[in-house]
Amino acid sequence: MTDAKKQQGDRLSEAEAIDRAKQGDAAAFEALYNLHKRRVYSLCLRMTANTAAAEDLTQEAFLQLFRKIGTFRGESAFSTWLHRMAVNVVLMQLRKKSLPVVPLEENMETEEESPRKEPGADDPRLAGSVDRMQLQRSIAALPPGYRMIFLLHDVEGYEHNEIAEMVGCSIGNSKSQLHKARMKLREILKTSRAEKATKP
Amino acid sequence: MTCEEFQRVLPELGSGHGIGQEEHLKSCRGCSNLVADLNTISREARVLQGSEEPSPWVWKSIEVALRQEGLIQPQLSHSRTPTLVLDWRLRWLVPLAATLLIVFGALIYQRGTGQPQTAQQQPPPAGVVTANLQATEAMGGEDLQLLETVGERMPSMRDTYEADLRSVNAYIRDAEQSAHSDPNDEVAQQYLQNAYEQKAMVYEMALDRSLP
Repeated sequence: MTDAKKQQGDRLSEAEAIDRAKQGDAAAFEALYNLHKRRVYSLCLRMTANTAAAEDLTQEAFLQLFRKIGTFRGESAFSTWLHRMAVNVVLMQLRKKSLPVVPLEENMETEEESPRKEPGADDPRLAGSVDRMQLQRSIAALPPGYRMIFLLHDVEGYEHNEIAEMVGCSIGNSKSQLHKARMKLREILKTSRAEKATKP
Repeated sequence: MTCEEFQRVLPELGSGHGIGQEEHLKSCRGCSNLVADLNTISREARVLQGSEEPSPWVWKSIEVALRQEGLIQPQLSHSRTPTLVLDWRLRWLVPLAATLLIVFGALIYQRGTGQPQTAQQQPPPAGVVTANLQATEAMGGEDLQLLETVGERMPSMRDTYEADLRSVNAYIRDAEQSAHSDPNDEVAQQYLQNAYEQKAMVYEMALDRSLP
């Protein structure tokens, strides 16, 4: 194996890939894409529940990133920069479809969207684990606003201050939406479990 | 502290609780169950991170656009050492693996929609059944052979593809469990087919990269 071929085959570190991508290296672009494609695509897929739309949004997010890669100076993590673009692309898509994004005020939600509060009621547990497929279906059933906050915090691991900056809401609103998303998921999962238990 | 007071501050608490909240949780089963459930949902959600893979055409489209916009500079091609025997072994593995996985996925899907087997339908060949059993285990013979091939051609990528295979095998296991528990659930059947297609894609990409 020649030295050039070995160098080509070796996995690029992210920093090396960014430097080479700025110089127009195709392999570097591809390496950056492969490093981050799953997280970006998973986010787009869970927001749109449509593989074709998710792939279009993934493509758009990466193209926007690569067009601006010459301006990346490393002030923030590359992955955060990329995810901000992916979130923007998804939010623009939702707004085009006139779907509600994150409510700016808590009282803008309808009663149907808000999970029921049962303070003091006897509330049996979900049990220690949740079926992965059922969780995916339940997330897809969330209103888009709740879903975005839940995905960014609980799935992608962003903090509330980062989420607030990405989606343009307050930190308090982000925390509130997350809590409501989790409560809604709990309700959906319990209902689903109860329905399965009663099926012959 | 009452349950209403506790649940009012719950969104702000995060992972830590004050003394008053801890005392309430010790004495209130309802709120204790609620907190446990919310923590379970949050914990299980993290497993979903990056669990889906886009189809190969997404990168192809991006690459075409980057070339058209002049963001990719033309590179000199490198000479490659021919390895004819190895190429022959690799080339038949790609369509075989993809075909076995997709055909078996289609058979599972048909069984799930309740289509009766006709006299003309043949039972799946032994190779397909073997592929099914292997697909449900963490790492079957074909997976190990693929990793061995990747390890020979691109050692630095072996770990990445091993992680990809484990992830997609886990996805297949979950999808199979859902599909088997309710064969009439079309969504579960579709998930299962998607899972098999994803595995076929992993094979295709790994072997595309491995070929000189």
